[in-house]
Amino acid sequence: MKPVLAAIAASVLALAPLARAAPAWTPEDLTTIRMLSPRALPKPAPDPSNRVADMAAARDLGRALFSDARFSANGQVSCASCHQPAHGFTDALPVGRGVAEGARRTMPIAAAAHSPWQFWDGRADSLWAQALGPVENPAEHGFTRTEVARVLATNYGTAYRRVFGRRLPDPSRLPGRASPLGDTSAQAAWSRMTPSDQQAVDVAFADFGKAIAAYERALSVRPGRFDRYAATLGGGTSARASFSADEVAGLRLFIGKAQCVTCHNGPLFTNGGFANTGVAPRPGRPPDAGRVAGIGKALADPFNCQGAYSDAPPDRCDELEFAVRDSPELDGAFKVPSLRGVARRAPYMHAGQLRSLEEVLDHYNQAPAAAIGHSELRPLHLTGLERRQIITFLRTLDEDVPQPAKASR
Amino acid sequence: MTKSTRSRGRGPRRTILILAAIAGFATAPAFARPRDLDRSLDRPSDHGVFRVAVQSARTPVPLFRVHQWSLRITDPTGKPVSGAVVAVDGGMPDHRHGLPTAPRAAASEVAGDYVINGVKFSMPGWWVLKLAVQAPDGRSDTVTFNLVL
Repeated sequence: MKPVLAAIAASVLALAPLARAAPAWTPEDLTTIRMLSPRALPKPAPDPSNRVADMAAARDLGRALFSDARFSANGQVSCASCHQPAHGFTDALPVGRGVAEGARRTMPIAAAAHSPWQFWDGRADSLWAQALGPVENPAEHGFTRTEVARVLATNYGTAYRRVFGRRLPDPSRLPGRASPLGDTSAQAAWSRMTPSDQQAVDVAFADFGKAIAAYERALSVRPGRFDRYAATLGGGTSARASFSADEVAGLRLFIGKAQCVTCHNGPLFTNGGFANTGVAPRPGRPPDAGRVAGIGKALADPFNCQGAYSDAPPDRCDELEFAVRDSPELDGAFKVPSLRGVARRAPYMHAGQLRSLEEVLDHYNQAPAAAIGHSELRPLHLTGLERRQIITFLRTLDEDVPQPAKASR
Repeated sequence: MTKSTRSRGRGPRRTILILAAIAGFATAPAFARPRDLDRSLDRPSDHGVFRVAVQSARTPVPLFRVHQWSLRITDPTGKPVSGAVVAVDGGMPDHRHGLPTAPRAAASEVAGDYVINGVKFSMPGWWVLKLAVQAPDGRSDTVTFNLVL
């Protein structure tokens, strides 16, 4: 009996390398892998808070606003300064740099339309509410909303009227630099404005965000090599040619032992939620409270889905209405980012604390305690080879580079 | 664990365990869950105080989208329980996290019927929906539903 069993054991062990080379995915594995395919990605959900969200003219206006550096204190910073198409709509810096250095890593935006929450801490509940934040952030655009209304009125009056069907406020009635959130002089100037002028400026400011949101919603997620591999699974086509043994092994670890897919699931490799992964603060910076502060800001934001500048009836704001507000899971939690194109987006984490995917895998493998709240991670006990295989797989999430159209003969 | 089993392993039983472990690892699904999971959505509460039934307003249960469930509460004889306060909780036991939203239950017009608004599931796998029911006459109980999405 014993020699027979030993022989079976030996044959199973001998087959193990073969099993890795020629994958036998279980039905559960295939379900998970198909869920990661962009074929499963519907169009972004309608945004009832933005009536121009899917209007072509709004998209065109938003595209122009997105790269217009006149909407900044020094005339040199636009949205595109940090959200660079060549870097997956991010920059290559640990933390964003506008008119000064920011506190967090620039986020990619191509997949943002699919997320109910924006910013690392989810302090905005729509793309358009998000677009307003950096404009008045002293480290980013360093601008004010009255200046936004003035630049719009001077340069975009016709396009604005075509999209929104109303006129911008008369710039001659507005102080040069005024905002309820600005520096002392900007706040003083804001307080001297009439309530109707304040409201007119806020309407124009919200519309500025809504046009940019329309542009961002149209940015599509391009498939890559992983998606071509996933498309062949279960379809009777051999997939071996399109994925190496290490890439297959990396995918198997990603959805299995390494548990990456717990949070990085669905066609965008994110569950759209928030997680505390115990990433240490940047050296010399205090711990960042993350989501627990972000949800408070989203609820208090006058530009949220239930606010006066939203186009949605209040009962169409489910994410805000039913947001988790008081769970310990929110402490030190940050948005789970999409992993599409992740290999081209170093450095990583909410403040660029980890320089490379190797450092990211080391972090998840070790699962250090969090500086604030409790990390959800547990040590993974991955070998060096396994960590390298996961990284090899992650590189297959790079988007295909668009091919120029062939010249006709 | 496998290592220590191997180092102490003696005899056929140990070998079978090793083989089972190898086979189990090779075929482990991405989302482990108990084999005999009770997935009924109409069941007595934990101490038999109520009978509770839940149903998603949308079929199949959507992922990543906030949606509504209906809830019916009766006593064990089938008499509707109206005016109850129902607390909703839940999450993914094998992933150690709660629900991504904070759903709330509210009474509907029919006696014993309620709606649960704000339900969202953010990934496939095994979810639990836990309800704590407090009837106006002081009776209370809890019930847990298992969902596999």
